[in-house]
Amino acid sequence: MPTTETLSLNHDADVLVALKNVHLSFGDNKVLKGVDLRVRRGDAVSIIGPSGSGKSTLLRCINGLLRPERGEIRVGETAVHRLQSESELIALRKRIGFVFQQYNLFPHLSVLENILIAPTRILGKDRGETEREARELLARVCLEHKADAYPGQLSGGQQQRVAIARALAMHPELVLFDEVTSALDPETVGEVLAVIRELVKDGLTCILVTHEMRFAEEVSHEIVFTEGGEIVEQGIPAQIFHNPVNARTRSFINALAG
Amino acid sequence: MLEKFLHGFVAAAKIIGLNYSFLLSDYERIPWLSGIGITILLALCSILGSLLVGVVLAALLASRQAWLRGPARGLIELLRNTPTLVQLYCAFFVLNMLLNQVLGGAEHNPLTPFHWVVLVLSLHYGAYHAEALRAGIEAVPATTREAALSLGFSRVELLRHVELPLALRFSLPALTSNLINLVKSTALGAAIAVGELTYASLMIWVQRDNVLELMIFIFLIYAVLTYVVARLGRALENYLRMPGYGH
Repeated sequence: MPTTETLSLNHDADVLVALKNVHLSFGDNKVLKGVDLRVRRGDAVSIIGPSGSGKSTLLRCINGLLRPERGEIRVGETAVHRLQSESELIALRKRIGFVFQQYNLFPHLSVLENILIAPTRILGKDRGETEREARELLARVCLEHKADAYPGQLSGGQQQRVAIARALAMHPELVLFDEVTSALDPETVGEVLAVIRELVKDGLTCILVTHEMRFAEEVSHEIVFTEGGEIVEQGIPAQIFHNPVNARTRSFINALAG
Repeated sequence: MLEKFLHGFVAAAKIIGLNYSFLLSDYERIPWLSGIGITILLALCSILGSLLVGVVLAALLASRQAWLRGPARGLIELLRNTPTLVQLYCAFFVLNMLLNQVLGGAEHNPLTPFHWVVLVLSLHYGAYHAEALRAGIEAVPATTREAALSLGFSRVELLRHVELPLALRFSLPALTSNLINLVKSTALGAAIAVGELTYASLMIWVQRDNVLELMIFIFLIYAVLTYVVARLGRALENYLRMPGYGH
């Protein structure tokens, strides 16, 4: 459970992700209008807000899939906004897991191969050792019996758990979750959230874009409310969900509760 | 045993008015049979060559570098928009002659007409394969690409491990059609005297005036060869089928 004590430990050394005045537009559409955000190592931060408020775009800026027009992004020692070459971006992405709304597993590879491909082909790790680890990860997401199945044979919830295992196989220091339950049937949402809950408990740094408010309140150390490409309010879950300062936050939370 | 069978076959054919007596002459039968072998060998070499060319050209087309994409696009247009026969003549009568001169005489030139047919068919059908594979690569969802990049794949690793394997599956029916056309196009070898099936048959019917008899064989043999390619293509489609995906 997040407490005010954990929040007060605000040393710079603890900050893993720092965004400063990040701007990004697609054509005339200003998606990010000066976002500032700090995420400490080991924290789970949930980004909530109405659709089109730039939440997913924000995540894609952090792992360099999108490049902001202005502003600074740091992940650990890496100045993401300054990265130029493909090899620098690859080095960054190896450290950051990304889990997508539509799972995006490789449909031509079995579940096991989906998990193995990046560690063996990209990191060049030994297959035997990696496979043992991949099977452990599958057990962790309760899918050890599906190692030889193909993504098309799995339910959405199962695919999403494989996608999480695939991200974890790279030993990321940060995992970005982009509305990972939005495409799922209600009955399978719980199994995916249970996996994420465990990861947060184990101290993995996570940034979650989510519409699961109950879940966000339960697992997050901090909640960020965005609207119209700006961070409107951020704070501990109790504050955002039960005592929001900003009127726009209040109306968003109340609309959900109503 | 074989001789007995051949005699029986020739006699039986004669009853319905077909003259297959060339089969009884070693001097004619042996080159004709080896013509079938040469056709099969031409097809196999050109299939492998064309697939190699197709993958390389498709990879160049998928490149983000304009200086790689541009020449690949130009070569494909050139190869697709001119007749295969003209390309073969150009290769054999122009390039081969130039090569002879550079090497100081035909006797120093290691390339035979067979090689030129393989080269031209590989390039010509490679261009068609490249277009089929390009359609396949473009059918790979952007989100799948994003997932690979997020895992740290380079552009080349993305192409090799994700885009091409998926593109191959999407474009396999089109590739099989190209390969069936390629098998039929091996008959162009006759134009530069490669002793494949069509040329070997021609050599016989100019002597014996038995065009119909040989045509029946030619049709049957090409039909069997193309049928084998079609079946292999279907078998590969089944083998590569992604369980639960789009079916």
